[in-house]
Amino acid sequence: MGLFKRLYDWIDLRIGAREIVKKELTGYLLPRNINEWYSLGSVLLVIFALQVATGMLLMVYYVPDADKAFKSVTFIMNELPYGWLIRLCHAVGSNMMVAVLLLHMLSTMMMKSYKSPRELNWVTGFILLTLVQGISLTGYLLPWSQLSFWATTVATNSAAAIPVAGPYLVEFLRGSKLVGPPTLGRFFAMHVGVIPVIIAGTIAAHLFLLKRTGISTPPFGAKDAAETGAPWQPESYHYQGHPGGIPFFPNYALQDLTSISVYFAVFLAVVFYAPNLLFTPDAFVPANPFQTPAHIKPEWYFLANYQTLKIFPSELLGLSVQAAAMTFLALLPFIDRSPERNPLKRPLFLVCAIGGILLWLGLTIWGHFS
Amino acid sequence: MTDHRQTRRPYLRGALAALLLASCALFAAPQPARAAAPEQPETVCIQCHGTLPDRLGAPVKLWRTSIHSENGISCNACHGGDPKDAADAMNRARGFLGAPKETDIPAFCGRCHPGVMKDYLASAHGKKLGMGGPHCVTCHGNHQVVKASLDLINEKSCTRCHSFERARAIRDAMQQTEGYIVGIDRRIKGFQAEGVDTDRLGKGLFAVRNRFHTLFHDVDVARVKAESAQINVELGKLDRDLIVIEQARVKRKQAGGFAIAGALLLAVLFHLMKKTFD
Repeated sequence: MGLFKRLYDWIDLRIGAREIVKKELTGYLLPRNINEWYSLGSVLLVIFALQVATGMLLMVYYVPDADKAFKSVTFIMNELPYGWLIRLCHAVGSNMMVAVLLLHMLSTMMMKSYKSPRELNWVTGFILLTLVQGISLTGYLLPWSQLSFWATTVATNSAAAIPVAGPYLVEFLRGSKLVGPPTLGRFFAMHVGVIPVIIAGTIAAHLFLLKRTGISTPPFGAKDAAETGAPWQPESYHYQGHPGGIPFFPNYALQDLTSISVYFAVFLAVVFYAPNLLFTPDAFVPANPFQTPAHIKPEWYFLANYQTLKIFPSELLGLSVQAAAMTFLALLPFIDRSPERNPLKRPLFLVCAIGGILLWLGLTIWGHFS
Repeated sequence: MTDHRQTRRPYLRGALAALLLASCALFAAPQPARAAAPEQPETVCIQCHGTLPDRLGAPVKLWRTSIHSENGISCNACHGGDPKDAADAMNRARGFLGAPKETDIPAFCGRCHPGVMKDYLASAHGKKLGMGGPHCVTCHGNHQVVKASLDLINEKSCTRCHSFERARAIRDAMQQTEGYIVGIDRRIKGFQAEGVDTDRLGKGLFAVRNRFHTLFHDVDVARVKAESAQINVELGKLDRDLIVIEQARVKRKQAGGFAIAGALLLAVLFHLMKKTFD
C-alpha cells in the first residue's frame, strides 16, 4: 500500500492525477435517479475494445487472400491454441455489439435523452449504428465461406437498384464485375483499417458531446433538488451539472461493472454453449462461385430489411422506404420537439415507438421463416 | 432569439440534408441478402422434358428426388448431348447417347462408378447379365437413383428373382457396419457444421465406405462377414478420433460454465458493493 501511495504521489506531482480523479471520477456527479440503462454505453465501450483486441489477434494468422482465407480461418479454429475462443469471441462479439447498441438507442429513445441540447449525441450514436453494421458486413466476407461469399454477392448486388449510378456502385464495391479476390481485399481494408478508425473517432465525438452537455436526467424517479425540469433554452451553451447527485466513482462505476459482468455472462454463454446460433453449416464450407446455396439469409439484424425488400414489388421502392425510415430515425431529435420527456405522458409517441419496434420484430421473424 | 434561429436554420438545413444523404448511402450499402440467391440455370433437357407429359416428362420428376440431383449430376452427365443448346441437346455428334441397351447398362453407369461395375461384373448377378440377371437399374432405379444403402437389399426387391434367405444373411452381416458408418457420418457432419476441421475424418470415412460398398455386390456370405469385421476395425479408429473431439468440447463447455459463473458472481459482488454506497 505504501508503495502504491508513493507511486501515486510521484505521478500526481507530475500530472496532477488527484485533480483529474476528482474532476472526472469522484467529483463527476450524475443524477440521483440515474438507472441501469445508462450503463449500456460503458458496456459498448468494453465490447468495442474486445473486438479490437480479438481482431488484432486474428490478424496475426488470418490471410486476406481468396485462396488462403478459408484455410487460415480453419487453422485458427482448429489448430491454433485457443484460436477457436478468439475467433468465436470476435464473431459473437460483433453480433452482441449490434444488439447492445440497439438496446442503448432504445433506452435513449424511451427516456428522451436525445432532446435538445443532445441532438448531436443521438446523431453520432446513429452514425455509430450504421458504422457497426458496415463493419459487421465487411467482416462477414473475410472467412471466404459459402455463406459469406453469397451473402456478399447479394448484398452488393442490391446497390444496383440505385438509378443510373447503381451498376457502377456495385462494381466499385466489388472491385470487379463479380465478387472475387479484389472484393476480399477491399472489404479487408475497410474492416481492419478504415471503419474501425472512423468508429473510434465517432466514439470520441460521442463522448466529447456527452462531457460537454452533461448527463441527461431520466424522466423517471425522484429528481435532484436542483433539477428544474425546465427545457433547455438555446440562447447560450450550458453544461447540465447535477449538484447533490451521486459521484461517478465509486457509485456508478460499480453499476457499470455490474452491467459489464452481466453482459459477459450472456456473451460467454453464447460463445461456449450456442455459437452455432449465429452460424449456418454454409459458414464452414469454402466459397464456391459455381455452386449457389439454396437459401442465403442475412444476419439477424438485417432480416427486417431483407423482408421489407421482398414485400415491395420494386427493389428501388423497397430501398427508398428503408432509407426514409432510417432517415426518420436519424433525424428524430429534430422532428420530436415536444419538451415533455416522460413517454407515459406522451401516448402518441409511445404508440408509434412500440408499433415501430413490433413492426421491426415482426419483419425480422417473418424474414427468418420466409 | 428569432434572429439566432434564422441564422442557424440554413446550417441546420444543410446539416440535415447531408445527414439524409449519408444515412441513405450508409443504409443502402449494408443490405445483405435481398432475396434467396439465384439458382443455377437448368439445362435445356430439364426445361423441355420438365414440361412434357407422361413418359417424356416422368424422368425429370423422378430425377429431382434422386441422389444424382442432390449432387448436381444432371441428364447430360449420363445421356450426353449439349445441355445448353436445345438444337444439339440430342445430337449424337455432340455426344448424345440416349437410353442404353440392357447389356450396356453396367458400362453406362460404370463410366462414373468403375469400381462398382467391376464388383458387379465379378458377382453372380453380373455373370447373369443379358440372361435374365439383374443389372444396375433393377435395384437402384434409373432416374430416381437412390443413395446406396442396405435398404436396397429387401425382401420385396430380391424375391422378384430368388428367395430372400441368402440376401438376408448378407444384409444382417452388414447391418452393424452400415449403422456404424451412418452414425460416424452424422457425427462428422455435425462437427463440420460447428466449424471443426473434419477433412481428414471425412476422407477416411469415404475410403471405408467405398470399401464397404464393394461388398454390396458380393453374394459370398463368409467373405462379407470377414470384410465387414475388418471395416469395423477401421471405423473404430475414426470413432476414437471423434471421441477425442467430443471430450475436448465437453471440457470447453465445463470451462465455459466456470467462466459464466465467475461473471455472474462478479455481477452480484459489484451490485452488493454499489448498494453500500447508495
